[in-house]
Amino acid sequence: MPERALERICYVEDDEDIQRIVRMSLERVGKMTVEVVSDPNQAIGVMMRFKPDLVMLDWMMPGMDGPTLFRKMKQDPQTSALPVVFITAKATQRDMEELIALGAAGTISKPFSPKDLPDQLRAIWAKLPAG
Amino acid sequence: MSNLANGIHSAARGASDDAAVRERADPALVRADRVEQLYSQLPLGLVATVVIGVIAAVELHEGRLIGLLLVWAGLLGAVVALHGLLYRSYRQDARRAENAGQWLRWLGIGAFAAGAVWGFAAAVFFPSHADERQVFLAFLLAGVISGGIPMYAASWPIFAAYGAAIALPFTYVLATFGNRLFAEIALLIPLFYGASVAIAYRLSGVFLSGYRLRHAYQRSLVELDEARRQIQASGRKLALFAERSPIAVFELDGEGVLREVNQAAEILFGYAADELVGSSVKRLMLARHHADFDREWQHLMASRQPATGVKVRILRRDGLTVVCEWTVTPLVNAEGALISVIAQGHDVTAQLEAERMKKEFTSTLSHELRTPLTSIIGSLQLINAGVLGEVTKDVRDLTEVAERNSQRLLDLINDILDIEKIDSGKLTLNPEVLSVDDLVREAMVLNKGFGDRFKVRFESQGELLRREVNADRKRLLQVMTNLLSNAAKFSPEGEVVQISTEQHGAWLRVAVHDRGPGIPEAFRSRIFGRFTQADSTTSRHKGGTGLGLAICKRLIEMMQGRIGFQDRDGGGTTFWFELPAHA
Repeated sequence: MPERALERICYVEDDEDIQRIVRMSLERVGKMTVEVVSDPNQAIGVMMRFKPDLVMLDWMMPGMDGPTLFRKMKQDPQTSALPVVFITAKATQRDMEELIALGAAGTISKPFSPKDLPDQLRAIWAKLPAG
Repeated sequence: MSNLANGIHSAARGASDDAAVRERADPALVRADRVEQLYSQLPLGLVATVVIGVIAAVELHEGRLIGLLLVWAGLLGAVVALHGLLYRSYRQDARRAENAGQWLRWLGIGAFAAGAVWGFAAAVFFPSHADERQVFLAFLLAGVISGGIPMYAASWPIFAAYGAAIALPFTYVLATFGNRLFAEIALLIPLFYGASVAIAYRLSGVFLSGYRLRHAYQRSLVELDEARRQIQASGRKLALFAERSPIAVFELDGEGVLREVNQAAEILFGYAADELVGSSVKRLMLARHHADFDREWQHLMASRQPATGVKVRILRRDGLTVVCEWTVTPLVNAEGALISVIAQGHDVTAQLEAERMKKEFTSTLSHELRTPLTSIIGSLQLINAGVLGEVTKDVRDLTEVAERNSQRLLDLINDILDIEKIDSGKLTLNPEVLSVDDLVREAMVLNKGFGDRFKVRFESQGELLRREVNADRKRLLQVMTNLLSNAAKFSPEGEVVQISTEQHGAWLRVAVHDRGPGIPEAFRSRIFGRFTQADSTTSRHKGGTGLGLAICKRLIEMMQGRIGFQDRDGGGTTFWFELPAHA
């Protein structure tokens, strides 16, 4: 379990409505700081600047999907260590297992409850190794 | 067909197999034939008797014996006359074949009587004549015994009775004559008699087997004829099946050349039968599929096993292609040689298109509907949770209605997706070792909110078992959620839904007991079916898709378990599932 509490979240998502709900959920219910990125191509740059505790990636996005972005993050030493949680409506069990095997911290399926989302993220955060 | 084949087989084999002949020939018919044979000899026998009788009377008449001779001639005449009557009555009997036993007995009596008259002649005339007459008489008696063999050959016991009636008195007079030569002849007579009976016995056997053979053969002919008619009828029926069938039927030879094509195939592929017969079936396929077809065909010819569900894209005469699904059956004779190949196919193009559309629809349902629902439910939850501050009661009432109904829509989508996944075999389970008591407690916590809505409490009944099962955690919780939410929905307000765990042998049972109205009798048999709810108004009032229990059943079965329900003492229902206990 990491020593400090989960505070800074970077969320990569193309759907503006969901962006707004997640932001509201994490900021108001979870009291976290959220940076939302609409364009996956700019996501790595934002992460380097924002320095999140945890990254949430949407699975399906135009331009670049979540798993591709995740693999790119893994190749960059500045983002490779960031814990990543996938948000998905469609992934099969096998897809999820594959991502967990690649090093994803967890998956949350759509639709999620914005009431419970901060707790879900904190539960994933609590299982991460310290450091 | 197999009875028919057996019939033909035994009919063909019948003529050569003795036991089979005996079995197949009707004994009553065989006896009637023997009796007919015996009676047909009668006129000749009577003429011979009269002729021999007259010669004997002329030879043997002497003054002092004229009285006895007249008695003897009278007896012989009476026997001949009675035989004549017997013969006439037999011929007049329309049912003589059925009465054969009776006629055989009468003939036996007659034969014995005839023998006795000749025996009388031996006993009376032999001692009272001089040497040369005695030779004549001995010759005559031997003659009438021998003559009896062909007469009665069809029934050796009749001959034995007839011969004995002659031989016994003759032997007696020879033995008691007081002459050594005659005494020696007396010893030979029984030998002669025995040999004659033996010959009659053999002849009788020959007749018997002859008659049996005839009847077995006749019966075989009748059966063969019947078999032939049955085969013709089956042939006509089969031809009709193929001709009127709505599916395309091909008969092909071992090389894949079409021999026969039915009407449905003509319509489906746009060719007349004449155009197809004699050409390779490959003509109906795209060139790029020929190599695949050759390989499959070789495999079929090697295995000689029927193949089903063979999908082939067929090129119609108008240039369009259709996908047909075929059942291909090689017909092989008893020796294992290929007779022909029957292929039956139907057009599945529309079906495949429908399946593709269904998949596409499922995918759309999964993503395109769930994404907006995420926004809708998320927004409403945030409002209802008070994250945005307090709203007026009226607004709150309506946003709660909206959230509840959005959730219902989502449940329906999820249920349909689950059913689709289960049906298409895409649902995979992740079994892990789970502790039953933890699972039940977790399910109770997860469903507390739902229970609150219906003012129903969930409680464990007694101590929960600390045993483990090997199951998919998420899916088992889904089953528990289904059972608990059903129980809450159907319980009266303020009631308690109890959850118990029990061990039944190698099974662990989790049971959910409610105090609802019970399951109506008419609904019991289809409760685990799809889109089923006992009262269709229920789904509108209380939510639910009617798919929940169907999914539960499939999930539990996939986990090697079973699911069921029973009435609860004191009213209500118990739903339970059982899983194998983890060792």
